[in-house]
Amino acid sequence: MTALLQAENLVKQFTVQGGLLAEKRILTAVAGVDLELFPGETLGLAGESGCGKSTVARLLTGLIPPSQGSIRYKGRELSAMSREELALYRKDVQMIFQDPFSSLNPRMRVGEIIGEPLAIHRMGDGAQRRERVAALLQRVGLAPDHLSRFPHEFSGGQRQRIGIARALAVSPKLIIADEPVSALDLSIQAQIINLLQEVKQDLGLCFLFITHDLSVLRHLSDRIAIMYLGRIVESGSRDGVLSRPRHPYTEALLSAIPSIDPQKRKRRVIARGELPSPLSPPSGCPFHPRCPYAEEVCGKLRPELLEKEPGHKAACHFSEKIYGAR
Amino acid sequence: MPPLLEIRGLCTEFRQKRGVLKAVRGVDLTLEPGETLALVGESGCGKSITAASVMRLVPPPGKIVSGSVLFKGEDLLACSEEQMRKIRGNRIAMVFQDPMTSLNPVFTIGHQVAEGLRIHRGLDRGAAEREAIAILEQVGIPAPKERIRDYPHQLSGGMRQRVMIAMALSCGPELVIADEPTTALDVTIQAQILELLDRLMAETRMGLILITHNLGIVAERAQRTAIMYAGEIVESAPTPELFENPLHPYTRGLLASLPEFGTPGEKLATFAGSVPDLRGAFAGCPFRERCPVGDEGCESLPVEMKEAGPGHLVRCLKSP
Repeated sequence: MTALLQAENLVKQFTVQGGLLAEKRILTAVAGVDLELFPGETLGLAGESGCGKSTVARLLTGLIPPSQGSIRYKGRELSAMSREELALYRKDVQMIFQDPFSSLNPRMRVGEIIGEPLAIHRMGDGAQRRERVAALLQRVGLAPDHLSRFPHEFSGGQRQRIGIARALAVSPKLIIADEPVSALDLSIQAQIINLLQEVKQDLGLCFLFITHDLSVLRHLSDRIAIMYLGRIVESGSRDGVLSRPRHPYTEALLSAIPSIDPQKRKRRVIARGELPSPLSPPSGCPFHPRCPYAEEVCGKLRPELLEKEPGHKAACHFSEKIYGAR
Repeated sequence: MPPLLEIRGLCTEFRQKRGVLKAVRGVDLTLEPGETLALVGESGCGKSITAASVMRLVPPPGKIVSGSVLFKGEDLLACSEEQMRKIRGNRIAMVFQDPMTSLNPVFTIGHQVAEGLRIHRGLDRGAAEREAIAILEQVGIPAPKERIRDYPHQLSGGMRQRVMIAMALSCGPELVIADEPTTALDVTIQAQILELLDRLMAETRMGLILITHNLGIVAERAQRTAIMYAGEIVESAPTPELFENPLHPYTRGLLASLPEFGTPGEKLATFAGSVPDLRGAFAGCPFRERCPVGDEGCESLPVEMKEAGPGHLVRCLKSP
């Protein structure tokens, strides 16, 4: 099967001004990421704050250009696309944002917000657009009379529904959702997760789901990739990564999640210390200063992301140890 | 001996243009020394206002209208403001959710941790600073001697939260109220902070009220759990009992909606409807419109808390 979207060795660097007289420094937010998204699948991208997962989302949607590397959509290189092709790409790839409070224009009515992508991509005439917006509103579980209201009149969960309707308006092929449920209350979170699942199945969409919440990821993803300090450190099938992690960071992440089920409360592997600054990443393996398995080689040589078993990759010199420990 | 904290019939209201908002409607809670009580609920359920009421820090136009808050038998609601100032930050301390907005950006962290010691313990600057260094070390801040000269913006989120905890613990409080202390943190840092709180509690026998919406944290850390909905405690029980045998339909619904318990790819259980408007007159069970088992009987009568088992209280007409 050919990939719908393929990113190869994606790098994004930002220049940071340190202070008035300080030298400019390079922050490498994404340090060589490979990703593939196949039609109809959901890829979950997980990692803690500052690991570069949102930058990956912005690169893939074309909101910012990569410093290096390539993004191919249906085999076509993004940077080589004509204006028309790019417009089509921007229609096919839509985004859902984390914060339903800041991602909707407060001066626009709900009908205008959902209809705007249709107008931008010149789809249908006025009557057809109105019809489409009404259908979308119903699809995401909002009432027809919500059309003429403003975003501030809605709760967080309802706003996220509006954001989803807006993303669906132009019939995209791929939806990139950056922490779409983490700002919501528990009972609302379940509603939105169900809605995302429904639209994915009904419309056969491909999803890139970015979150730090592994229990949400487990529920929604077919495949999972774990990011740490700008790199993917592990990727594989949902069950492979979550039940047989091959990277110590994944293991620490999984064991740090407090669980309701006493049976799941296993040996806690606490990652020491904190996430290093991406301005001065550690030498060798980026996780080695926090890793309980680290040996001398880890500080010198950065491990490549290699296949450890079919379809399951990890970037660790000692991934057998982690596997053996369970 | 009286319990460490005993809240009885606490009611806190906000007078607004559109009517009186009853944010806390008759809350009863008891906490023993060395115990962790989790207060769980969704945004707007009144859990933070309950905490603010205990500290007597309800923001205007909010007002505590009735009830009592007995701290070792002494009613805090009857104390003068001056007496309260001697208790706050000294015998009862608070850890807030967002360390970036709760720390003062223009003072060094050393100054902020030492402030409580100077005010409540009467230590001079040198002694307060030495004590502050010791506390910062205790909460796991590396090189505290150098870090006390840092300003909050120079620290990471996890380090700032440790500073908040150090401030709260500086005077050796008997009770700590932590309002979502780890919500802003990543899971690996969250695990470190929770281990730290556990260790300190074991050493000092202080009591902890842990306000959170993370049920995993609750299950692992709290001895007792109280579930709040629309300004009321709807269920409270020893934590293992609450998770094994939830009785209130709201508690059951919350547990069922967790992705942790769902089958991947299948639908999660959800509630219909939304939280009721707490303005104006209010009769009957606030959950009835969303409740799968409620009927007309739930609409008019005020629902009392009843004992369903040892230490297991539930506010539902339909529960056994």
